[in-house]
Amino acid sequence: MPIEFEVVPYLQWLPHALLNFGIAVAVLLALGTFFSWLAAAVRLGPSEAFYLIARIMLDALPDIFKTSPRRVWALTRLSVQESIRRRVLVVFLVFVAIMLFAGWYLDTGSDDPARLYISFVLNTTNYLMLLLAFVLSAFSLPTDIKNRTMYTITTKPVRAFEIVLGRYLGFAIVGTALIVGMGAVSYGFVTRGLAHTHQMDGKLAPIPSPFPNQPPLGERGTTTLDKHHRHEFTLNNEGLGRTDMQMGHFHEVTKNGDQIVIGPPQGMLEARVPLAGQLSFLDRAGRSAASGINVGNEWTYRSYIEGDTLQAAIWTFDGVTPEKFPDGLPVEMTIRVFRSYKGDIEQGIGGTLQLINPDPGARVRRSEKIFFTAQEFVVYQRLIPRKVKALDQYNKAIVDAQGNPVEVDIFEDLVSDGRVLLELKCADPAQYFGVAERDVYFHAADNSFAMNFIKGYFDLWLQMMIAIGFGTMFSTFLNGPVAMLASIACLVVGFVAQFIFDLAAGTLEGGGPIESTIRLVTQKNLSVDLELGQTPEAVIRGFDGGLMQAMRAFANLLPNYRWFDTVRYVAYGMDIERSAVMQHATLAAAYCVVVLIVGYFFLKTREIAA
Amino acid sequence: MEATAAPNLFADAPRKAGTTGDVVIETRNLSKTYRDFWGRQKVRALKSLDLEVRRGEIFGLLGPNGSGKSTTIKLILGLLFPTTGDALVFGKRASDVAKNELIGYLPEESYLYKFLNAEETLDFYGRLFNMSSAVRKQRVGELIHMMGLDWAKRRQLKEYSKGMTRRIGLAQALINDPDLIVLDEPTTGLDPLGSREMKDLILRLRDQGKTVLMCSHLLADVQDVCDRIAILHQGELKELGRVDSLLKLQNLTQIRAEGLSKECEDELKAVIERHHGKLVSMENPTTTLEELFLNIVADSDKRPGWRSPQNNP
Repeated sequence: MPIEFEVVPYLQWLPHALLNFGIAVAVLLALGTFFSWLAAAVRLGPSEAFYLIARIMLDALPDIFKTSPRRVWALTRLSVQESIRRRVLVVFLVFVAIMLFAGWYLDTGSDDPARLYISFVLNTTNYLMLLLAFVLSAFSLPTDIKNRTMYTITTKPVRAFEIVLGRYLGFAIVGTALIVGMGAVSYGFVTRGLAHTHQMDGKLAPIPSPFPNQPPLGERGTTTLDKHHRHEFTLNNEGLGRTDMQMGHFHEVTKNGDQIVIGPPQGMLEARVPLAGQLSFLDRAGRSAASGINVGNEWTYRSYIEGDTLQAAIWTFDGVTPEKFPDGLPVEMTIRVFRSYKGDIEQGIGGTLQLINPDPGARVRRSEKIFFTAQEFVVYQRLIPRKVKALDQYNKAIVDAQGNPVEVDIFEDLVSDGRVLLELKCADPAQYFGVAERDVYFHAADNSFAMNFIKGYFDLWLQMMIAIGFGTMFSTFLNGPVAMLASIACLVVGFVAQFIFDLAAGTLEGGGPIESTIRLVTQKNLSVDLELGQTPEAVIRGFDGGLMQAMRAFANLLPNYRWFDTVRYVAYGMDIERSAVMQHATLAAAYCVVVLIVGYFFLKTREIAA
Repeated sequence: MEATAAPNLFADAPRKAGTTGDVVIETRNLSKTYRDFWGRQKVRALKSLDLEVRRGEIFGLLGPNGSGKSTTIKLILGLLFPTTGDALVFGKRASDVAKNELIGYLPEESYLYKFLNAEETLDFYGRLFNMSSAVRKQRVGELIHMMGLDWAKRRQLKEYSKGMTRRIGLAQALINDPDLIVLDEPTTGLDPLGSREMKDLILRLRDQGKTVLMCSHLLADVQDVCDRIAILHQGELKELGRVDSLLKLQNLTQIRAEGLSKECEDELKAVIERHHGKLVSMENPTTTLEELFLNIVADSDKRPGWRSPQNNP
C-alpha cells in the first residue's frame, strides 16, 4: 500500500504539534535574540546592543499588529503586476507544451497508465511550481533594493512586515492562479488521456458447462486492441459481464440483442478509503512475536514470514460492520516476496488468507483458507464473500447433519463486536512474504477521484506556499541568487531530513561527520573498529554526538517536503484522509507565519541603502 | 514643466511658514562609518554632525562627491542607521516609520517601477499612505495635471524621458501633501526651463509653509532657493548659516558711485567726500556661492579639521 504510515486524527495530533511548535519558536527566538545581541555588541558594546535589541523587539509587536490591509494590498498588487510583466505566465505555457507532447515520451503501454499519468502531472506541476516559487520570491526584494525602488517604499509609512507580507501574498496569488490552471489542464489530461473504449473483436464463443448435456454457462469474447491493450470478457446468460483486468482497469460488458456494448474503463481513477488494521506476528512455532524475520533487506519497514511454517502475519480490524461491507470483505493487499531459491520464476508464490474470530470461545473460529498467488507491485484485490465455509475451534470443518460443509455469515459468526482478525500465511516452503501494517486493508468505500485530485493539488499548493515563504524570507537579507540557493538548500535538507534524523539517532552505521570522514580517509569500512584507541574514539564520538544533535535540530526546523508528498496517494488511487490534509495545512501555515516574521526582523534591521 | 500653469494643489493647506522656531530635523553628533563584511572600518562618511532644520525654511546641503550629504539624507530618512548619534525628524527617531507620514522624498534618480504607468505609480504610492480610493483618485489627477503629464498618464514609465520621470518622481513625493520635502538633486536631468520651474515650485512649497531639505551640486540652484545651507566636506560640517550672511564679505567694502569725474576714480573714497560726489551705496559686496564653496573646500584640504569661524546659524 502506498500509504505507509498511519495518519493520526487531527485533534489528537494538534496538541502535540502545538507543543513542538512552541518549543521550536522559543528556541528560535532565544537563539535569534542572543546572536543578534552578540553581533550588535561587537560594534556597540553590550549595554547599547541590549537597548537596541530590546527596542527592535518592542517595536515588533505594534509593527505587526498595525499592519494596514490597504498597504499590504498595494504591495501585493505590485508583486502580481511585476510577475506578469516578468512574463511568469510563460511557465504555464511550458506546462501546457509538456502536456501536449507527453504522449511522445510517456510509456503508454505501462501496466498501470493511470498511476503513470497521475504521477507525471503531479510531479511536473510540483517541480515547475517549486522552481517558479523560488525564482519569483528570491529575486524580487533584492532587485528592488538593487534598483533602489525600495527607497521610495521605505520612505513611506510602510512597515517591514507589510513589505514582506505584501510580497509574499503577491507571489502566492500568482502561484495559486498558475497551479489552478495547471490542475485543470492536468485533470483534463488524465481523464481524457485514459478514457477509451473497445469494440468486440471476432465472435462470441459459448462457455461450455462442465457437466454433460447442460446448457452453456455463458459466452466469452475478446475486445479490439486499443490503447496498447485488449481484454478477454465473459457474459452470463443474462447478457451481463465484465472484462478481465488489464492495465489497472476493466470494462462492464452488456449484450443488447446482437450488439455488444463495452462500457468506459473502471477501477482506474479511484479514491479508495481503506480500513486499516493492526499488525501482529506469529513465529515459526506459532507463538506470538513482535515481528517477522529480517531477510537482510536494508529497509526494516517490512517484516517477513516464512512459507509452510506456523509463522503468520495477523491483522486486527475494528469497526467491521455489515453496513460498511454489505457484500463481504474486499481485501486489498500489496505484499513483497522474498525468494530463498529461484523456483519457477514464472509462477507466483502461493499464500493463504483466513478470517479469525477474535473470541477464543466462539463456536466458529476460522473461515476456510482462501488461496491466492502473490503479485508484487500491484494491488491484489479479493472479495471475501459474506457466506464462507468455516472451521470450529478444533480446526474442523463445520458441517450439517448430513456432513456437508455449512456456510456461515461472516458478520454473524466471525466478527465479534465489530472486530475480526485476518491471518496471512505463505504457502511455499522456504519462500517468504514481506508485509507491513498498511500493506493489507479492507476497501471500505470509494470517494470522488476529482476531490482526491484536488487534495493532491492542495498539497502541492502548500509546498509552493512554504517555498515562497522561504524565498521571501531569504530575500530580505541575501541577494537574489544566494537567496534562491538558500531556499533550494532548505528544500534539499527537508528531503533528506529523515536521513539526518536516522544519523542523529545512531541507527545508521558509520558514525557522525568526524568518524565518517576518518573512515573515508583511512578507507575503513563501516563494520570495522576505528582502532584509534579508547580515548580518541570517545572524544570523536562525543563531538559527533554534539554535531549530530545540532544537525537534527536544524533539520527539525526546516520543512520536510515529504510530509506534503501525497502524489502516491492520488496515483495509487488511495483517498487522502481529511486529517492528513488538515495537518499539512496547519504545518504549512505555521511555517509561513514563522518565516514571514523572521523575514520581518531581517528587513527591519537591514540598512536599505547600505 | 507646466507646474506654474497648473492649479495649486496645496491652495487650501494651512500656512505654516514663519514659525521658524520649530525644529523639523535635528541631528545630534550624527556619525556614520561604513564597514566591510568583517566589520572592519572602510570609510567614515559622516563625522559628528549637529544640524537643525526649522519649519518653513529651504535648507540646502552642499558638498563635493563623497562629502557625506547623501549619507546625511539617508540617515535622516532611515535608509541607513547611524553608527553613533541620533537623527530626529518631527521629534521622532529616523527609524520610526510613523515620521514618513509627513515626509515626501524625491530620490536622485526617481527610482520608480518602470512597468507601471503614471496613474498606477501615483495610485500605488497613495495606497502606501493608506489614502482612501476617492482621495487617491483626486490627488493622482491633480498631481498629474500639475506636472503637465495628462497626455502621458497611461504610458508605462519605461517610455518616459528623464525629465518626465523626474516630474512623476516629484509627484510621488507630493502625493501625501507632506510637511517636509526631501529633494536629492532636484534639478538633475531637467532642462533650464524645467529647472527654473522646479525652483519656483520649491519656493512655492516653502511659501505654503512646507520645509524643504535639498542637496545639490548645482550651486546656482542652491543660491537661488535656499534660506540656509550646510557645507560638508570629507564627512565634516564646514559651514552652516543663512545664505545671504554667508555670502557677505565682511572685510571688504563696495562703493557704488554715480556722476563721478574721471579724475576722482584713483582716490575714490577720499575724493567722494572731498568733491561732494553723490554716494549711491556703500555696503559689503557678496561673492558667489560657487566661489565661497570652492574656497572652503580648498581651505579644508589645506587645514584638515579646520572650521570656518563664521558660523552664524
